[in-house]
Amino acid sequence: MEKGTIKQMIDRIILLRSCGNSAIAVTVKTKIILKGINPDKYTSQTDDDPQIIRKLQDLADEFGIRL
Amino acid sequence: MHTITAYTSHTEVPAAVAELQDQLKLVSQPKCVLYFASASYPSEKIAAAMEEAFSGATVFGCSTAGEIVSGKMLKHSIVAMALDQSIIGDIVIQAVSPIEEQIDVSSVFSVFEKHYHISMRDADPTQYVGIILFDGLSFAEERWMDKIGNATDVVFIGGSAGDDLKFSRTYVYAHGRAYTNTVLLALLKPNCKFDIIKTQSFQTLPQQLIATKVEEAHRAVIEFNNKPAITAYAEALGKSIDTVAESFMSNPLGLMVGGEPYVRSPQRISDGKMIFYCTIKEGMDLQVLQSSDMIRDTREAILEKKNEFGELQALINFHCILRTLDLESHGLTEEYGHIFDHIPTIGFSTYGEEYIGHMNQTATMLAFAA
Repeated sequence: MEKGTIKQMIDRIILLRSCGNSAIAVTVKTKIILKGINPDKYTSQTDDDPQIIRKLQDLADEFGIRL
Repeated sequence: MHTITAYTSHTEVPAAVAELQDQLKLVSQPKCVLYFASASYPSEKIAAAMEEAFSGATVFGCSTAGEIVSGKMLKHSIVAMALDQSIIGDIVIQAVSPIEEQIDVSSVFSVFEKHYHISMRDADPTQYVGIILFDGLSFAEERWMDKIGNATDVVFIGGSAGDDLKFSRTYVYAHGRAYTNTVLLALLKPNCKFDIIKTQSFQTLPQQLIATKVEEAHRAVIEFNNKPAITAYAEALGKSIDTVAESFMSNPLGLMVGGEPYVRSPQRISDGKMIFYCTIKEGMDLQVLQSSDMIRDTREAILEKKNEFGELQALINFHCILRTLDLESHGLTEEYGHIFDHIPTIGFSTYGEEYIGHMNQTATMLAFAA
């Protein structure tokens, strides 16, 4: 099974949405947690879960960013 | 003077508004007058009278479940704050109703964008801040805050209007009118430094609950940890199901963000489900919380911001009604009021607090530096 895609997606969402601004990055992370995904639960060793990956794709769409 | 707070307990609207006008007259040209009025005042009359009394300013507010003004917690009163241009460079407000299922934030934001000649998507959150006031019985807060958060980095802070715990009808006030089923958004461009204070008074217990089955629309959790919600909650606290509701106030749940809880407060039990005052999504990990010293924690939060800003020129406090009830039950309302003795402050007891999302048992405050 592939690993680490979820963490990569989360990191990319935070980076793209905050444009590298660290204060905004904290807020974006909070928004992601309030949407029901806790970034701290996922590492580069986390198995890819298609359901979470789909949720993150939807979340990226909501934020208006392309992964 | 750049900002003044006022309060009145006159029961008649004309006398109450005249008293506020008299107290606020030292701000010669207010840019904005914000007010929070007990639900005991007739809504349409108070909205019209406040608009007329301060016709040169942007006037808005909402009904309450209790009021806060510098040094005091009040009941059955109106509190108001006048702010001049040195604090509020510009402001535009919108009352959006009805609060629909399909939330069209882009059309709301287009009004702000035209006014300020900005894109809300790219607006600098250090230059702009939003105030948001909801009909407190709308159940719409989470959806609106989520859509707003998707569309902008500007922070919207605020609360859900109250009605003195009658849970019958709450109002937001703008344009001389009282609105129900409405969300009021204000976008401010302050002329001074500003920041948000978010404070809640809980310790984190080691017990965790994972929401494994929920009904989001009803703010209900059916199962925690794959057990009936109330059973899992009672087990986490080591209490019996029959008496565990007594712990709701002192043991809410926390969605942890950077070690700080976004509090979710249980309201009641219904057929084994736990109904909360805000939504819990399926899969959320929640920490069981234990209440701590609200007076101490609030004082520290204010002091920290005061030390950072030098002096606070104005403070708007969106204060959960559950915190007010807790203070009342311990005879601490006077002491809480004194925390704000020397800070121009108004606020109200809310049916929910807003800051990035919707939360409970929290005080969210907008602070302006001198």
